[in-house]
Amino acid sequence: MAAYPALAGCPLGRGKDRGHESDKRPTARLVTGRTHPYWLLAPALLLLGGLFLAALGLTLLRSFRYMPVLGLTEPDLLAYTAVLTSPGFLASLGLSLWIGLAATVLSAGLALGVALLLRHSFPGRRLIGFLVQMNLTVPHVVGAVGMLYLVSQSGVFARLAHAGGLIDAPGQFPALTHDPFAIGIILLYVWKEVPFITLILLANLQSVGADHEATARSLGATRCQAFRHVTLPMLRPGLLASSALVFAFAFGAYEIPLFLGASSPKALPVLAWQSYTNVDLAARPEAAAMAVIIALIGLALLLTYARLACPLADRGRNAR
Amino acid sequence: MLRTLAALLLMSTTALADAADGEALKAMTWDQIVEEARGGTVNWYMWGGADTINRYVSDHVGAILQRDYGITLNRVGVADAVEVVNIVLTEKEAGVTDAGAVDLIWINGENFRSMKQGDLAFCGYTDLLPNSALVNWDNPAIANDFGVPVDGCEVPWNTVQFAFAHDSAVVPQPPRDMAALLDWIKANPGRFTYPAPPDFTGSVFVRHVFYHAAGGADGLLGPFDQAKFDAAAAKTWAILNEIEPFLWREGQTYPNTVAQLNELFANGEVAFTFNYDPSQFGLAVQAGTYPETTRSYGLTDGTIGNTNYTLIPFNAPNKAAAMVVQNLLLSGTEQLEKAKPDVWGASPAIDITRTPAEVQAGFAALEGHPSVVPAEELAKAALPELQADWLTAIEAGWQAQVGN
Repeated sequence: MAAYPALAGCPLGRGKDRGHESDKRPTARLVTGRTHPYWLLAPALLLLGGLFLAALGLTLLRSFRYMPVLGLTEPDLLAYTAVLTSPGFLASLGLSLWIGLAATVLSAGLALGVALLLRHSFPGRRLIGFLVQMNLTVPHVVGAVGMLYLVSQSGVFARLAHAGGLIDAPGQFPALTHDPFAIGIILLYVWKEVPFITLILLANLQSVGADHEATARSLGATRCQAFRHVTLPMLRPGLLASSALVFAFAFGAYEIPLFLGASSPKALPVLAWQSYTNVDLAARPEAAAMAVIIALIGLALLLTYARLACPLADRGRNAR
Repeated sequence: MLRTLAALLLMSTTALADAADGEALKAMTWDQIVEEARGGTVNWYMWGGADTINRYVSDHVGAILQRDYGITLNRVGVADAVEVVNIVLTEKEAGVTDAGAVDLIWINGENFRSMKQGDLAFCGYTDLLPNSALVNWDNPAIANDFGVPVDGCEVPWNTVQFAFAHDSAVVPQPPRDMAALLDWIKANPGRFTYPAPPDFTGSVFVRHVFYHAAGGADGLLGPFDQAKFDAAAAKTWAILNEIEPFLWREGQTYPNTVAQLNELFANGEVAFTFNYDPSQFGLAVQAGTYPETTRSYGLTDGTIGNTNYTLIPFNAPNKAAAMVVQNLLLSGTEQLEKAKPDVWGASPAIDITRTPAEVQAGFAALEGHPSVVPAEELAKAALPELQADWLTAIEAGWQAQVGN
């Protein structure tokens, strides 16, 4: 189990056998023997309960239109029906799912390729490895400003195209930001998340080592077969976990779609924020309802991930 | 069960206004209030998007408060006053009645209505400020904030009036009224756009079209009228949908914020930007963002003007000190200081004829920035703001009929 980073862990308590394994370790027995694990978890639980769960509870109350301060004391589901039947909602939901899915698939595919290349040693590998992971430290919003400077219709590339005589006016440069297909947003997420997934995969590859693949090759597997049947299954838990994180982030983040997105349809989090900052205080319950819907979709994603990841994680372990 | 849960989560839902603090102040003389304010800290939440304004408040006003009254001014920048409304609202829900985070807000319009709607403002104290005498409270544009009576709940700070900006080297003869502007847009495809409402500035541009469609603002004043709205709105959406194919990106998308429109103007993608505060054009030229040849102007059929205010929330822990700040901001010298183009260039909210002679002389000697249309010229054709219900109806209608 030590071979897998924490990220590849099995959520929702499916990794039972793993618990036995760690109990057998002398250090683990020492800690659990003296102190109840709940005490050790207390700071984390306090944070979770005090900040996250309380806020979630308040949001739920507001979404049921229970806001005594505004004179709303009879809870009902009107905010949900208003949100679900509002004309722009489905388009926004579709856009957010598209952004999340496209960004995740592209990032994961690219990161897998980069990680597989970077595990071999070749001249300049350290430099390339550094360059690939450098933008992990750059905040998303800063990246978005850079994206605007580079690929907007009055950005650097458009100016170069103009200087080269390819276009006469900004409007002739393809619209890559504020565009209906969210290309600018997806580009930014890919740029930002490839290094993240690469980092996880490289850590995985390091702990897996080259032995399994070498054994497979010596037993007659082709490079392709060794990758498909040996390396990829061992990487899959890490790949799935980091992809789930990337999807959840790209689906739920607000600032990038606001900055690089079109005015219609708006990404779901932008729609929720717009409702939360509506001048009419009576619109707050709808904002809360939208936030709850986003959270429910995130929860559904987590459950799907748990179903996908855990049997595979077990299989990966058994293969050892 | 929900209610028990709510009580648990909120600790106490009996959010009664903190009467003691505010009511006690109202019974005091001004000297006593100044004494009470000494040593206090004022957390002033305000729009933080302009460096010059931030500098004026933090450095200039902050220094005077510290020197003369021993008050520490802590400016907290926000993107939109609605964020502060949400803070105070959440505090009220959580039962924070006298120890709120906010002492003073720069606010107006729809957010002021929200503060009144939620009973979130400290009211009925403005007559206590000595400099309140400089304000012409008989002027309906001061006594009403977007049609909502001020009722002693806020203190005016600046007056503004909407204006367009263009690069005179690119568009030497800009269209001077709404009908001409609409024709210009159709004759110059891709060179005009406006921020999508509910952006504050995009929303006011749409209101200009709405007034144009309704044949003037006169019939729209007063409380919301569905029949009048429907008639004017139908024409407005028809006009805006007609020009849509001629806008930037063929109207398939709109800038989300006025900052984005300014960026498009600075990069020469569009030929016009506009703002509720024309002094911003001069500041952008000084900063090198806009070309030196930028000029601004109003429309002959009028542009919309309003007043912005400062407001003390019901749960401000330092009401006395906040009142001293408000009084200082209203003084003739401070209204003159921020009117200087290199400081900010904001038009005064006080009646200048009520100020001392040297202040009046100072106002007379002000030289405007060449890119900023003088306030007197704009004031020749000024249009009033509508009540907040009209605004929300127009914004919602735009989203459903035009920006979809």
